[in-house]
Amino acid sequence: MNVIEINNLTKMYGKARGIENVSFNVEQGEIFGFIGPNGAGKSTTIRTLLSLIYPTSGSAKIFGKDCIEFGPEIKKEIGYLPSEVFYYDNMKVKDLLKYSASFYGKDCSKRIKELAEIMQLDLNKKIDDLSLGNKKKVGIVQGLLHEPKLIILDEPTSGLDPLMQQKFFELLEEENRKGATILFSSHILTEVQRLCNRVAIIKDGKIITVEKISTLQENNYKKFKLLTSVTVDKEYFDMNGVSNLVLENNTVSFLFKGNVNPVMKKLADIEIQNIWVEEPDLEEIFMHYYEKEE
Amino acid sequence: MNIIIKELKSHRKSLIIWCIGVIFMISSGMGKYVGLSSSGQSMNNLMADMPKSMQVIMGTGSLDLSKASGYYGILFLYLVLMGTIHSAMLGSNIIAKEERDKTSEFLFVKPISRTKIVMSKLAAAFINIILFNFVTLVTSILLVQKYGKGEEVTRDIIMLMLGLFLLQILFLSIGTAIAAAKKHSKTATSLSTGILLFTFILSIVIDLNEKIEDLKFLTPFKYFEAKNILYGGQLDSMYIVLSLVISCILISITFVSYNKRDLSI
Repeated sequence: MNVIEINNLTKMYGKARGIENVSFNVEQGEIFGFIGPNGAGKSTTIRTLLSLIYPTSGSAKIFGKDCIEFGPEIKKEIGYLPSEVFYYDNMKVKDLLKYSASFYGKDCSKRIKELAEIMQLDLNKKIDDLSLGNKKKVGIVQGLLHEPKLIILDEPTSGLDPLMQQKFFELLEEENRKGATILFSSHILTEVQRLCNRVAIIKDGKIITVEKISTLQENNYKKFKLLTSVTVDKEYFDMNGVSNLVLENNTVSFLFKGNVNPVMKKLADIEIQNIWVEEPDLEEIFMHYYEKEE
Repeated sequence: MNIIIKELKSHRKSLIIWCIGVIFMISSGMGKYVGLSSSGQSMNNLMADMPKSMQVIMGTGSLDLSKASGYYGILFLYLVLMGTIHSAMLGSNIIAKEERDKTSEFLFVKPISRTKIVMSKLAAAFINIILFNFVTLVTSILLVQKYGKGEEVTRDIIMLMLGLFLLQILFLSIGTAIAAAKKHSKTATSLSTGILLFTFILSIVIDLNEKIEDLKFLTPFKYFEAKNILYGGQLDSMYIVLSLVISCILISITFVSYNKRDLSI
């Protein structure tokens, strides 16, 4: 079942581009990454899903219901963490969280305490006095306190120290185990790589690809590096799928795409001292997708 | 309900300050009346000797200044000014502040429709202007009676306050409509107070220049003037209807345009 279905969603700001014909689905129970550089349209897509802004054309469904028409109803089950958190300055953290909880018509005080403890958040401070990171923590607690079925995160880690990021990711994984679907927007690839099952890559307002993280990595280049006993001719590696070949003394490195068996056989015929075969990290894949478009 | 309480709390301080201002205004104003009326000079003669433009700016017109009620009539103009500034600012602030303070990504992702949010905010604003009006009413009655030497003023003051209340509603709705329709919420308050100032100056210009008297329906400050209420005994029903109709239109604009437009984040 799809929790989010986006169909040809387009948003223009006057003549300026927001997003164009964005379509993808997020299935129930998955952690879905939404990745792209700044200004690619991640926040625009998310804000349209939350009916903060209205689409120019196209539509989106959440829990099978149109996100504009049934906005208030579906928002009962959505937890949202914006990229920049701003709250009513003169309120205490405790009061803000209570205010937030009051919209959901259920008692969230126990969950607030649990979450505050995990995130090490002081509930008695004034929001005014909090640092950026601590405000972000308020945002996290605020987004999760009603135990939503869909969690939407817009660049959630900015401002959090690595230790807190770790705790936050564990918290998300825990929520995911309990059945929550997560849409995770980010421009930082490693965090998406760590958390997500699938990912949509967006650039200049258009979706470039929607893939499983594992397929993304599989279908791509492998990095070979070998240390040979004798110097090998450059022509020896002249075969399909090899690129970026560099020979330096007895060190050979190249990128390889395709079936690995022929290249392994070929390598077996050389005296090798050492060999490294590496998966490229997402960063490299990402750059690859970007370059391809240009 | 939670939004109403939240809004009441966040406007409590400003309301208290405005109320203190009103009380101070009435008590100091009526205190001057005591001084002037006991000096033995005929204030009406004094005023009549002044040039017309001075009279207009002072707001005296045809008020009988030898009586506490007439003197309060001058004061009423300033109370109207305070009340309308308060409501115009309140109206535009209460709508615009979520976008101005960037809290819209908090409030508008809650399971509540924009219509309900605006309704709650309007309710909170109404409670604010009712309290403002009530404080003005009670202070006025108490102080005017105190200095009035037995003059019966309660009915007149209630009438005046009714006029003030209609103007408060009108300017509140001007404020909310501007804040709801404008994309750049930051300038909403200055635009609504700008309109207020413009209509106020227009009302003075009309007083000075009888040729443009037909324009007086353009400025709410001409709708319920103290001299007409005090000596006519009631509010002009045409202007009651006019101000209510304008308010209704502006409030509908508030709802419709706030529902339709993108929030600026």
